[in-house]
Amino acid sequence: MDDGALGGAGLLIARATAADARCEQRLNAAIDDFFLPDDARLDDRMRNGIAASLAALVAGIERALVQHAGRLLVARGEPELAIALANGRPAMLDRLVGAGLLRDTDLMRELIARVRQDTIGDALAPAPTDPNAPSLLARLANSPEPGVAQAATRLFIAESRRRGVIDGAMHTDLPAELHHRLVWWSAAALRERCTASGPAAALLDRALAETALHTLSAHDEGRRLEAAAMLLASAVEALPHELPAVMTEALGDRRIAMFIAFLSHAVGIGFEQGRDIVCDPDAERLWLALRALDLDRATIARIGLALCDADPRRDIETFADALDDIAAVPPDRARTALAPLKLHPDYRAAVSALTRGTKA
Amino acid sequence: MTNDETEVAPVRGLIDLQGRLIEADPRLETLNNRAGGAIGQIVAVPQILAVSRLAQRLGILISRAVVAAEGDGDLDLWIKADPVPAGVRLEISGWRSRAAWQPGTGDVERAGDFVRSTADWLWETDAALRLTFLSTSAGALHGFDTADMLGQPLTGLFALGEDSAGTFPILGGLAMRERFEDQRATLRPTGQAVRLTATPRTDRSGVFAGFIGAVHVVASETGNADALETPVKPSAEALPGAFAQRLDAALRTPLGRIIANADSINAQSEGPLRQDYADYAADIANAGRHLMGLVDDLVDLQAIERPDFAVAAEAIDLAELARRAAGLLTVRASGAGVRIDRPALDEVLPATGEYRRALQVLVNLIGNAVRYSPQGGMVWIRAERDGDMAAVIVADQGKGIAAEDQVRIFDKFERVDVDEPGGNGLGLYIACRLARAMGGNIVVDSAPGQGARFVFTLPYRGT
Repeated sequence: MDDGALGGAGLLIARATAADARCEQRLNAAIDDFFLPDDARLDDRMRNGIAASLAALVAGIERALVQHAGRLLVARGEPELAIALANGRPAMLDRLVGAGLLRDTDLMRELIARVRQDTIGDALAPAPTDPNAPSLLARLANSPEPGVAQAATRLFIAESRRRGVIDGAMHTDLPAELHHRLVWWSAAALRERCTASGPAAALLDRALAETALHTLSAHDEGRRLEAAAMLLASAVEALPHELPAVMTEALGDRRIAMFIAFLSHAVGIGFEQGRDIVCDPDAERLWLALRALDLDRATIARIGLALCDADPRRDIETFADALDDIAAVPPDRARTALAPLKLHPDYRAAVSALTRGTKA
Repeated sequence: MTNDETEVAPVRGLIDLQGRLIEADPRLETLNNRAGGAIGQIVAVPQILAVSRLAQRLGILISRAVVAAEGDGDLDLWIKADPVPAGVRLEISGWRSRAAWQPGTGDVERAGDFVRSTADWLWETDAALRLTFLSTSAGALHGFDTADMLGQPLTGLFALGEDSAGTFPILGGLAMRERFEDQRATLRPTGQAVRLTATPRTDRSGVFAGFIGAVHVVASETGNADALETPVKPSAEALPGAFAQRLDAALRTPLGRIIANADSINAQSEGPLRQDYADYAADIANAGRHLMGLVDDLVDLQAIERPDFAVAAEAIDLAELARRAAGLLTVRASGAGVRIDRPALDEVLPATGEYRRALQVLVNLIGNAVRYSPQGGMVWIRAERDGDMAAVIVADQGKGIAAEDQVRIFDKFERVDVDEPGGNGLGLYIACRLARAMGGNIVVDSAPGQGARFVFTLPYRGT
């Protein structure tokens, strides 16, 4: 720190140089932005939704870590460190974003997909099959089969919890691997809030590492909405002739996660892949998947109509034009075309990475 | 679960494969004729034609709410278009006129937001009134397992009760597909008294599809004693805590944004504007600041009216606080052409009270004095010991307060001068409650035409 006049001048010059670089960066960002194809740009609603989810996730982890580490530090005679952890500066989200850590493809893939799914789910119009009968999930929760009833209840709770995250309640329900990364990053960022040295620093590091491990062990991946939905789909094990009814009813009850799970389970792919297929406005893979399940024209029409109504990126006229062609796809050819999707995702990722590498 | 009985019976029609209207009940024929069509010709109401074409192409029954123009007004129509071999069979209900313009987006969701904004926790049901959503906080709050309730009938969680008029608001809500309020109920697992509010969700043909609801916990009648024992009456209209918190959270951010944006429009920071628009923006910012002040006051009001409200007993220097409060108001005072004469820098007046709260009281008193001062006027602030009390006197040259008003102005929502702009009538009430909670008081002496003199006292702290 130099407060002298010379230091001030040096600072000014340094800032001017930095401003020049920033100006260039901003221009580059603006150029990139301008040439982005429209269908690749996030709209404001998505941006806002992603920002809100990210903030809620980070805040939830931060709170858990600060509480637990604070207790440890107080118990070990370092209350000042506990106070420093809780002072909120630097802000966790800003620090992680600034460090570029959140620019993590896997994390952003999950968040973007999740927000997209929620956005479509929120926009689905209610369409009860029979207004006098309980909705599908409520019926399943009262199923005489304990496995089904329990799985349905877990999905109810997982959905309530997920909505709670957006309403401000704090539960992190990320996949374990992403949760791990976020927890360790957050613990490292918390470390910077204290200016401890010597034995105190060692104590702080130990407390933060213990806290992170404690938080990780408390994370139950099976409680995630996605896992609960898949569990229900496999417990229900809908027969081919039952699929059209349960899938349209899931959409009519505005349970997009349940719809994705029924589809993914029936096709034999993971929830994340099913979610990509259902939420992709270029719906060719979805139509193939529906045909692979041998769904009839009317069922595909109902599903397509519901999704078009809920997602402004889809065009109902294009869908109506294509419907006859979709319905004409033989189920076995659809299954063959989808076969690569069923390969292990890591294998597929490796194949496509290798192809990209060869081209380059 | 519809109230179709109370509306016009569904009107039927048949459209052939070429889009021509082949058969129509009289009501539909009239609508089609007024739009310039006729039986045997292509349907002249574009919205009806579009829905029936879509139903025909997709080959499934389609329900849509559309708005069709008829004469000067608009009609709300619920169209069901069912493809049959001969074409598309129509069934149209609704037929309600509406004003030519309504805000177009998300009425149900917006109504739902209003229901939610003040709630302690939330619930939703499907059309058969099975619970499909419960706030995760509900179980922890009351001590029951939400897992046992999801998927179960609404009445499994709530034992519904009649209101004072002997009616069940939820039944009216169900029958009329409208929002209902103030449905008394008790939570079956715990016996906790609650009030239910909900707004309905409908499907695309207007059929009831469930409720989006909120729960307000009814505070128990006991434990409501006024712990302050002050002469100010405990309020019968005290705000429930959760409400004030949500009000705070719900309003502060949007108001802050309104104020910030209005200020930057006023400053023309994004580019030049016509002066009158810039002035409107200043009005918007001022109104926003007024509302923000009201939010602050309501939150304070809620805090001080709680039975467990307590203030800290800190060693403070009232003279220093008075200088600080005056400093905070210097900008506003010079904007109004008012000078503030504050206690000298070396003056000290030790007292006992909570620093933050005492400062709040002084800012309020001095702010009032500045507001009611004439242009070029002066506000005097004096700090002096009065027996075992420390007193700050704030005097202005305003038009004064008549003797009969001097009690009234300390009441909630009362104003020194109701014609004067600004202020919400809570500031003095809150200041007075705070002063008394700290063991002091605020008194006024004034006569019309001679300015007002407010005396804020706190216990003197002897060395």
